[in-house]
Amino acid sequence: MKLTEEQIRKLTIEAINELGEDATPQKVKAIVTKAIEKFPADDSRPLSNELAEGRVIITSFGLNEPGIVAAITKSLSEAKCDIQDISQKLMEEFFTMIMIVDITNSPKDFKELQQELKDVAEKLNIKIYLQHEDVFRMMHRL
Amino acid sequence: MNYEFDEILETIKMTEIEHFDIRTVTLGISLRDCADRNLEITKQKIYDKILKYGRNHVKYANEIEARYGIAIANKRVSITPISIPFDYLNAEEFVEIAKILDKAAEDIGIDYIAGYSALVQKGMTNGERELINSIPYALSQTKRVCSSVNTASTKAGINIDAVNMVAKAIKKTAEFTKDNDSIGCAKFVVFANAAEDNPFVAGAFHGITEPEVVLNVGISGPGVVLDAIKSAGHVDLSELAEVIKKTVFKITRAGELIGRGVAKLHGIPFGIVDVSLAPTPAEGDSIGDILIAMGVEDVGAPGTTAALAMLNDSVKKAGLMASTAVGGLSGAFIPVSEDQAMIRAVERGNLSLEKLEAMTAVCSVGLDMVAVPGDTSTENIAGIIADECAIGVINDKTTAVRIIPAYGKSVGDYVDYGGLLGRAPIMEVRKISGAKFVNRGGRIPAPTRSLTN
Repeated sequence: MKLTEEQIRKLTIEAINELGEDATPQKVKAIVTKAIEKFPADDSRPLSNELAEGRVIITSFGLNEPGIVAAITKSLSEAKCDIQDISQKLMEEFFTMIMIVDITNSPKDFKELQQELKDVAEKLNIKIYLQHEDVFRMMHRL
Repeated sequence: MNYEFDEILETIKMTEIEHFDIRTVTLGISLRDCADRNLEITKQKIYDKILKYGRNHVKYANEIEARYGIAIANKRVSITPISIPFDYLNAEEFVEIAKILDKAAEDIGIDYIAGYSALVQKGMTNGERELINSIPYALSQTKRVCSSVNTASTKAGINIDAVNMVAKAIKKTAEFTKDNDSIGCAKFVVFANAAEDNPFVAGAFHGITEPEVVLNVGISGPGVVLDAIKSAGHVDLSELAEVIKKTVFKITRAGELIGRGVAKLHGIPFGIVDVSLAPTPAEGDSIGDILIAMGVEDVGAPGTTAALAMLNDSVKKAGLMASTAVGGLSGAFIPVSEDQAMIRAVERGNLSLEKLEAMTAVCSVGLDMVAVPGDTSTENIAGIIADECAIGVINDKTTAVRIIPAYGKSVGDYVDYGGLLGRAPIMEVRKISGAKFVNRGGRIPAPTRSLTN
């Protein structure tokens, strides 16, 4: 477990307050252990902002029918995502659309958006993939 | 648009249709500070340390998997070869260590932990001898622990005494796990020139020159290469090499991205990408099928070794260009039981143990997941290992043997483990004996190639 300086400072103050004059190694240990338990567990630490920032690429496929673009863009605009580019093609009856979307200003993070688009995909009976832009940059750009 | 339509579709096709996945993200943990004169305290220290670094391993890997839309098939842990920090233990105590490793692996939610290992290419300490003797007991009493022994290197030669000992351990392991098709042997690898940063289980361990903790990643993707070769059509071999290189380049880049992502979440250093084409029993995810697509009628046909050599070399070249941190085994794996085309070739009688051995001279590993009759003598198992070590030592490359002398089974039978380990037809071993040779014992001296200074 990693402690920040701030956490260590708080720990020390807590130990000093409790102990006063009569400090023994056992007491210090007991108090510190108790204080550490009070800290939010490692698991609750936000993984990183990266999950809520940057650009993602949304690819959707399926049988063409009216309303696909509308449904996807509606859900994105409700999530305050910034659509920066759209490219769409019809191959016979198949519909393919690729979007580059900036999610930095969205209150939703990557996972929530992924879930939201999954629901849209199920409703329309199409496939929607949401992937971070980095994977395309690494694979196709030097 | 910053990306071409086709580029994006290519990536989606790789991950969704062609089984491109990251085979493993392996967390390497040093256990060198876990030794204590009290066995119970040692066990507690080992358990605590694995949990400290490993408890979020699966969670972080899942996080990265979702972000990039690339599946990570396995999340694993490798540890310091345990004979090194715990050299003072005896065989029974080593088995206790195996059990605590098993429990730690279970508690952090991973399927395998590897590094129940010893490096004895030049000679054995008492502790290493005890460890090798404990292997059959450890592998039959645990589910998740994987073991390996390095018996040879280009610098030291081949320790035939150790080879004989591990051959005995293999036979015993097969017997102890006979109720499960001798599965214990599938968790044990004998190496020559073992790679210290190999992320692939069962042969992974956290080498003694590695840092406290590190994250290594092993890529996969035979299906992607297979489709690229098929769609290239009838081109000449230099063009074909180019097709393979371009494809592997892309999957290596994705692999490094994933590895660095998981390492960053852990807050630990990123180690290496192992650029290996590792097959799975899934149809189409096969090295054998790649060789057939390259033009041989079946695996084992004349030309197979040359095709595999070219494939292996193209994989390495692409990996080198794609990443600055290429390591591990990096090449093509040819495990029999995990590759549908290899299994079929053995069933049709097209692929023999001898041809497979020739192929191992040019691929990245060795005789991997090969099942042989249960009555194969210990000396002949030792002979097979010695042969494979010789290929590694003379060619200055890693070779390995993961052989299953399936207890009570003979040619025509199968061992079937399901899942990633797959199923293997029992292959014929020649009935002539190499016993007198291996029973001489001692060490085959290092070759002239070792004198490079």
